[in-house]
Amino acid sequence: MLAIKHGAINLGQGFPNFDGPDFVKEAAIQAIREGKNQYARGYGIPDFNSAIAARFRKDTGLEVDPEKEVTVTSGCTEAIAATMLGLINPGDEVILFAPFYDSYEATLSMAGAKIKCITLRPPDFSVPVNELKSAISKNTRAVLINTPHNPTGKMFTREELELIATLCIENDVLVFTDEVYDKLAFEAEHISMASLPGMYERTVTMNSLGKTFSLTGWKIGWAIAPEHLTWGVRQAHSFLTFATSTPMQWAAATALRAPDSYYEELKRDYMAKKAILVEGLKAVGFVVHPSSGTYFVVVDHTPFGLENDVAFCEYLIQEVGVVAIPTSVFYLNPEEGKNLVRFTFCKDEDTLKAAVQRMKQRLRKI
Amino acid sequence: MIVEGGWMTAVPDERHVQGICDLLAATMRQNYGLEINPLTDVVICCGQSEAFAAAIFATINQGDEVLLFDPAYETYESCITLAGGVPVYVPLDPPCWTLNVDKLMKSFTTRTKAVVLNRFVQKKLIDIGSVLTIQLEKFSVRKNFRPLLELAVKWTALLLQMNSLVTFNILGSLQYFVKALILQKTVYSLLVEHVSTGHHCDDFEKFAGSLQYFVKALILQKTVYSLLVEHVSTGHHCDDFEKFAGWRIGWACAPAIVASAIRNIHIKITDSAPAPFQEAAVTALQSPPAYFKSLKADYEARRDYVVQMLSSLGLQIWFKPQGSVFVFAELPENWLLSDIEFVKELIEKAGVAAVPGCGFFHADPNDQEYHNRYVRFAFCKSDATLNAAAQKMRGLVNSSGYLDL
Repeated sequence: MLAIKHGAINLGQGFPNFDGPDFVKEAAIQAIREGKNQYARGYGIPDFNSAIAARFRKDTGLEVDPEKEVTVTSGCTEAIAATMLGLINPGDEVILFAPFYDSYEATLSMAGAKIKCITLRPPDFSVPVNELKSAISKNTRAVLINTPHNPTGKMFTREELELIATLCIENDVLVFTDEVYDKLAFEAEHISMASLPGMYERTVTMNSLGKTFSLTGWKIGWAIAPEHLTWGVRQAHSFLTFATSTPMQWAAATALRAPDSYYEELKRDYMAKKAILVEGLKAVGFVVHPSSGTYFVVVDHTPFGLENDVAFCEYLIQEVGVVAIPTSVFYLNPEEGKNLVRFTFCKDEDTLKAAVQRMKQRLRKI
Repeated sequence: MIVEGGWMTAVPDERHVQGICDLLAATMRQNYGLEINPLTDVVICCGQSEAFAAAIFATINQGDEVLLFDPAYETYESCITLAGGVPVYVPLDPPCWTLNVDKLMKSFTTRTKAVVLNRFVQKKLIDIGSVLTIQLEKFSVRKNFRPLLELAVKWTALLLQMNSLVTFNILGSLQYFVKALILQKTVYSLLVEHVSTGHHCDDFEKFAGSLQYFVKALILQKTVYSLLVEHVSTGHHCDDFEKFAGWRIGWACAPAIVASAIRNIHIKITDSAPAPFQEAAVTALQSPPAYFKSLKADYEARRDYVVQMLSSLGLQIWFKPQGSVFVFAELPENWLLSDIEFVKELIEKAGVAAVPGCGFFHADPNDQEYHNRYVRFAFCKSDATLNAAAQKMRGLVNSSGYLDL
């Protein structure tokens, strides 16, 4: 509301201000015209499940059964809700890495879980090894990993994933991964936990269409997991939404069969946008923490002298005319995020340039 | 997003299209005389499935009991259990699924938090209230006031209990809810009138007590949490039809404080309903009344066709379904096996698929032998499909013209 009042440029919202590709939109329109408007099979239309499996094979080398190991959901948000409600019992211990996307905590509460939080800290938000080792025990039911990571842009390294994998195998712990930004991996290679030795059988891999194809409003997501875990996900999913938008699934199958050139162009476009924003943020005086993936970057705002992230964001809207997100909302303990704010670069280049310009002209140390 | 002079300006993160809410508010006012606030009282979800799930999670705590009427759609129970609630079934009596008020009253406990209503139940409550109103109007001084008083007390006590619960109104039964509110006011004023003209009986204190009930009930109605969960993507509220069911647009209407809770849960379950279809829903909800009229006529014709066809084949249909797209038929008298066996034979021998009714019954099967005696047929199919089904089934009749599987 504050943003509208001040006509601010919004680099806070985590979705693009540009549209998805025509070939995917056309596929949806065609599906609607062809009458594909009735209930889809609960866990996904066969063609889409196959497309998901094919894409997963291409990305990870893993062969999964599209009928038994892929479940389509209303966005990755619902995949997360279904996984939590379907596989977590009241009292189960689940480990989260802060900062985290807000639906994790909410759905874990709905499932009655006990949350154990490990904070990732700047500058590189690496996994604190000793803290992790003491956190995981035989009492842990699951670990939730978001990579590439919202809000920091961190990508879990092979070493980090291998460490987590070892501890999970030792203690018989499940892993839930949220990989919606996997195609926005710029400075590092995206690695799926499920592809590590011994991990497929205990991992639920979640993803969605929205970020990769700039169609976040379509709400098409999925969960890939071995049969015994898919069972739990499908149970919960049946009572959350039961079925996912039919025509969008048909279009999504087309989308996932896009040639490599689509993904390469996507990356190039985003890297150009990122360069504009990051150069601008640095020039203006923020401490910019390196972001390897997603379309987010977190910065330390303290050089400007405001007391915390919320105060800084208010100042940024009112005096500078740019919106960022205070990151304290992504922590169990908000204090831990008070020095950081999140900017997004999923906007067209003119918007990004305009935002940078405003900051250069008006952002001053208090 | 608003584009001004080439610059993208900010809008708040709106996950729903306001147009749908505005149109719903207009419909509520027009059709039911209910005033809802389109800015705060509506939550758009991924189909009614999600609206129901979100509403349950928003209102049901661990151990809360939720009253359900049997037979019931199978997913209600799972949502309630997922949220930590306890489903409590009140069986409706076959063959017309009538409500036994005593059975209902016996199901209330101190832990009862909510009730999932349907038309049969509400209609029954209305009927009692209507009869009560008529009797009160006709009441003459020579008659014994006591039975009437007892009925009034019983009825208002029931409504009082119902109104203190979270009520989920399913499938367009809202007009009954409103009727019930109006009836209560009428009964109350009639009782007051009788008292003031001296018609009372020996237990006057009890009568005074029942007036208290009325006052309480009326006050509670102002703060009643009624959740209206409607599933329809083209905006028709009175019948369940699934023309664009695959688009997943549904909604929940509730007083602002409850709607806010539902919205928060919904945001965590799916975040938003598909954006392009919300826009399309605005257009759909603006369809002229003629569209809904012809839709209804269309479905009524299909219903009549299927009811006639099934009856002629020996299935027992005790009343024409007044809503939804299903016929819940009782098996022929001469069929001695279960509903599952019947459906199996029907698929194998006639190539026609129906759903065995046992899945919809949840109350204690020990004193309910009828759990295996029903089969559900859908009539939301094209004419060609319905004709083909009829033909195939007719091919299997015996000499008396009844289905012989």
